[in-house]
Amino acid sequence: METLFRSPSVDFHAFAPEIVLVLVLVVLLFVDLVFEERGRWATSTVAGIGLLASLVPVLTLAVAGGDRSLFDGAYVVDDFALVLKGLFLVAGYVTVLISTDYVAEGDYYEGEYYFLLLSSLLGMTVMASARDLISIFVALELLSIPAYLLAGWRKRDLRGNEASLKYYLLGVFASAVMLYGMSLVFGVTGSTVLSEIGDALAGGSSTVPVVTVGIVFVVVGFGFKVSAVPFHTWAPDTYQGAPTPITAFLSVASKAAGFVALLQLVFIAFLGQDDVWAPLFWVLAALTMTVGNLIALRQTNIVRLLAYSSVAQAGFMLAPLAVAASIPAERGGIANATEAVVTYLIIYAAMNLGAFAVVMAVARKTRSGEIGSYGGLFDYAPGLAVLMAVFLFALAGIPPLGGWYAKFVVFKSLLDAGTGAAVALAVVAAVNSVIALFYYASVARQMFMDPVPDGDTTRVQVPAALTASLALCAVATVAFGFFPNLAARLGDVALFGALP
Amino acid sequence: MLVNQFLVLGAVLFSIGVYGVLARRNGVLVLMSIELILNAVNINLVALGALQGASGAVTGQVFALFVITIAAAEVGVGLAIVLLIYRNRASVDLDEVDLMKG
Amino acid sequence: MAAQNLVFAVLAVVAVLAALRVVTTRNVVHAALYLVAVLGSVGALYVLLAAEFLAAVQVLIYIGAIVVLFLFGIMLTRPTLGRESGLDNDQRWLAGITGLFLFGVLSYVLVEAFGDERLPRLEGLDREALTAERGTGAVGDAIFSTYLVPFEVVSVLLLAALVGAIVLARRE
Repeated sequence: METLFRSPSVDFHAFAPEIVLVLVLVVLLFVDLVFEERGRWATSTVAGIGLLASLVPVLTLAVAGGDRSLFDGAYVVDDFALVLKGLFLVAGYVTVLISTDYVAEGDYYEGEYYFLLLSSLLGMTVMASARDLISIFVALELLSIPAYLLAGWRKRDLRGNEASLKYYLLGVFASAVMLYGMSLVFGVTGSTVLSEIGDALAGGSSTVPVVTVGIVFVVVGFGFKVSAVPFHTWAPDTYQGAPTPITAFLSVASKAAGFVALLQLVFIAFLGQDDVWAPLFWVLAALTMTVGNLIALRQTNIVRLLAYSSVAQAGFMLAPLAVAASIPAERGGIANATEAVVTYLIIYAAMNLGAFAVVMAVARKTRSGEIGSYGGLFDYAPGLAVLMAVFLFALAGIPPLGGWYAKFVVFKSLLDAGTGAAVALAVVAAVNSVIALFYYASVARQMFMDPVPDGDTTRVQVPAALTASLALCAVATVAFGFFPNLAARLGDVALFGALP
Repeated sequence: MLVNQFLVLGAVLFSIGVYGVLARRNGVLVLMSIELILNAVNINLVALGALQGASGAVTGQVFALFVITIAAAEVGVGLAIVLLIYRNRASVDLDEVDLMKG
Repeated sequence: MAAQNLVFAVLAVVAVLAALRVVTTRNVVHAALYLVAVLGSVGALYVLLAAEFLAAVQVLIYIGAIVVLFLFGIMLTRPTLGRESGLDNDQRWLAGITGLFLFGVLSYVLVEAFGDERLPRLEGLDREALTAERGTGAVGDAIFSTYLVPFEVVSVLLLAALVGAIVLARRE
């Protein structure tokens, strides 16, 4: 029996960012192979330049404009995808900057490190465009599997091993549960393309229990990825045990990728089923903010503090999802919530990466992650202390630093929804903003008021790459605060092409 | 054949797998339990796909193929991690791998 | 029809009993062998569902590669092979209740949703037309046209997993 195979027509411009990334991956492998020990420094350079190069097609696609829908809507390059691809690539570039000296001095496998980092980023850029269950699953695994390995990159460190194992086992379990949910959704709707699932589910007015179970399992699977309470247990241990640049990467880029998938699934495929996911996200958001903040109060290690703070921040990002369906159309509806989450993600990336960059710079001298070792930082490294204060107060949401606008858009979409549940969530969020201020401020007090614990006040040597990343994050954090239109503009255009 | 014969079998395997993940404390055994869940997923995909006519049947099978491929990659990575831990600690007991109390 | 149901019953019983042994046995190697029984039965179920290619992949990849990886893992990390205590943690009862609860919920919603829907009967239909529209060829065509992006992504994923696993597992 002869079957006729029609080779698909591929819009190569739409795939250009991913193609450039794959080429960079190949170049990385060859550089590592050819130069061996002599040219190990070259790998970080190649990775950094490669990431900037893959930003170029993102820009040309943005300039060319228009939504590109490929493979019957399974892969879409719209403004949402482009903004998030840009975010992932820039966050990846900053991660390469903060990794450069850390990895070079630690005698780790450099070529392979950057290879895995860029593979994970490739998964994220694919995720931003994936509008089909199979693509979302495959992209999720491509961004996770290198991350499991990178978490254990400090091979001889027992904490690093533990970080990797916990992250891996919980991650694989969560993706298996998510897949079971996807199989049910596929079974009911008969399609894996998100827009077709959305049409099929919108047809039935009452909610079928099997769809409910499917949606809950999918949301639980991604709840792990974004470290929502009660699926956050891996996060603090993994963050503490993993190499610090990878921790920064996980807490920003990997979390953003989880939110991207959630936004796509919930707002395209499950749009008509909001009586299932709205209460679910409400509980997740409230729990995540509160539990994250309360545990963060007790932390004595700066990385664990930032880990729990990033759990709490995820709660704020989940909040617009909880109320999205009740935002009236004249206030933007779903688009309002999408804008809030994307804006929050962009600003959060700048301030959180910045905070981790300072932690790495300080650890170069103190060799410690204890908050106590930050005592008197202002005396011997005033620049770092001021920067840390900027990032911490930005995370707390103090104007005029970037974080206030992120919090503002979340509160705005909660109040635009206006329902009792939304207002209640806004109150929870407000209380949590105050709690968070305590632990951010206590680190700042340590840096400015307390004496240096061991009396050693030699200056901290900050290498050039780390300085560059600090400068980038600081400028972005401050600029987003003073000119919120910058972030708002990005969040504003980042809408799904398919949305009404 | 009823489609539910397959789906309920999938539900049994899924539940057994979840039990294994929660009850086992050996890393390799937890991974095996996760494989049970993935098999439940694949039974669902193929049976529910067959319900949807030819294109659904193909989609279900393709999805299941991707699941199997990625399961292989996951197990490879998992055993590398387990081996790494065993080398440093001579044990793959999950209760012992708990330096930092979450 | 009756023959198919009989085959299904045998395979299902084997799969469930073996799966129970995977999660309860006190010998790690036995767990891997019981896993083979589960995987084999599931592979045979794919044949019942007219998914022959998937059945072949199940045997080749799952039994042939993944279980062998498991056995390697066990042999490299076990000082002794045999019965051991301490493979389970103290949450067995909680885990059992969770499992039973999940099974109750899932079987209820599945029966509610798919009731007595029957799988389409394929026996009487034209064999060639069936092969063309849902046989191995059709699956291959779908992978290389509709699902080209995930296919390419998986290839990068396998390479990344390979590179990373070698770095972590190799001796210093």
